[in-house]
Amino acid sequence: MQPEQAQISDVELLAAIARKDETALAELYDRYRVILFGLLIRILTSREEAEDVLQEVFLQVWRRAGDFDEKRGRPFTWLVTLARSRGIDRLRSLAAKERVALAGAREPSEEVSDAVSDALASEQRALVTKALAQLPEEQQSPLILAYFDGLTQSEIAAKLGAPLGTVKTRMRAGLMKLREALSNQSASFGF
Amino acid sequence: MSHEDYKEMIPAHALSALDWTDDRALNEHLAQCVECRQELNEWQQTAAAVALTASPAEPSPLVRERILSQIRSERDESITPKIVPFKPSQKNIWSSFGSLGAVAAAVLFVFLLGYVFLLWRENRAIKQELQTMREANQQIQDDLKWALILQKRGSKLMELNGTTAAPGASAKLAYDQSGHAMVMMSGLPTPPAGKEYQLWFIVADKPPLRGKTFSTDSHGKGMMEDQLPDVALKSAAFAVTLEPQGGSASPTMPMYLRS
Repeated sequence: MQPEQAQISDVELLAAIARKDETALAELYDRYRVILFGLLIRILTSREEAEDVLQEVFLQVWRRAGDFDEKRGRPFTWLVTLARSRGIDRLRSLAAKERVALAGAREPSEEVSDAVSDALASEQRALVTKALAQLPEEQQSPLILAYFDGLTQSEIAAKLGAPLGTVKTRMRAGLMKLREALSNQSASFGF
Repeated sequence: MSHEDYKEMIPAHALSALDWTDDRALNEHLAQCVECRQELNEWQQTAAAVALTASPAEPSPLVRERILSQIRSERDESITPKIVPFKPSQKNIWSSFGSLGAVAAAVLFVFLLGYVFLLWRENRAIKQELQTMREANQQIQDDLKWALILQKRGSKLMELNGTTAAPGASAKLAYDQSGHAMVMMSGLPTPPAGKEYQLWFIVADKPPLRGKTFSTDSHGKGMMEDQLPDVALKSAAFAVTLEPQGGSASPTMPMYLRS
């Protein structure tokens, strides 16, 4: 996210959380709750499960903030990776029947207010959405199935009825194009 | 596998999409290769951006409260042990004994409770086993009696069939030359309250002669012994009717079983 100038940075917040500063955790939660909750709902298709995992994620942030290393990436990446990993773990732990039940109870994602959307850098979201949408369908599908459904390359190959080697090539090519598209926009890409 | 092979696997690893064997092999390589670790960090930045394509959503305010409440309780728990050792003990030896006694009593109570539960469960299992053995024993005795009658010279075996009142019922009746008879019934409907089944001996030119009454179990099964009247020894038919408790002097229609 692009912090305001007067605002404490995400890196500083994580350092404060590592020192067990409760206010810092509350601030970080307020900054990222909407984006992480949206991600978890997309993965789990259930508000109840997503809220439960969101709680786990921030408790993990509280306990592991000291592990964050600024040299290895930005706080946004660290948080999203943590949330997605927890979300996929939960998705895999749900029995097949429960997954069907959850899919049946799928709730449409709630659009948040304009004010919140602004705070979430909707411009950046538009950039990524556009870059992903511009990928050919055969490169886009493996990325989506891996990222939001937690499928491995073999599982994706079976689901799409494509050879495993082809899936590997398309996945790599898709992610490379996405990186290229985002790097071209790096001037306005703040995370 | 070469360094370049591993590098090709990194984008898929950033999406956690590698199959187990590839994932394991790459992790082993990453542990030794700084360049690949750096490259993985870059791919993870790209992969994380995909999260932005999910529609943003607002969680319940309760989630924030639950998180803050839990970290406070965790912090309190971690602080408490640090404070305790600095407090001078207010307890004398007797109060320590009292505390220890309370803990011991609680442990003993839980132990006894568990022990009583185990005994109760064991007792129930033994009772069930005993009941099963009693039933098996009764069955063996009945079978033995039945076999003893049938093996006697001149003994007879009759079959009784269910009537329209009890189409699923049937019975076998065996008797020896002395008139000692045994009947095994099955499939009879459960009699209503105040009623029971009664056996009848039907001899030509005579009114039906009453036999004993009997009850059945929940499966409609029953077994009884009776003594045939002398007049019924040579030639008789047999029937079963439903009668008031204690039996009747003459049969009440309809018949439930007849030979």
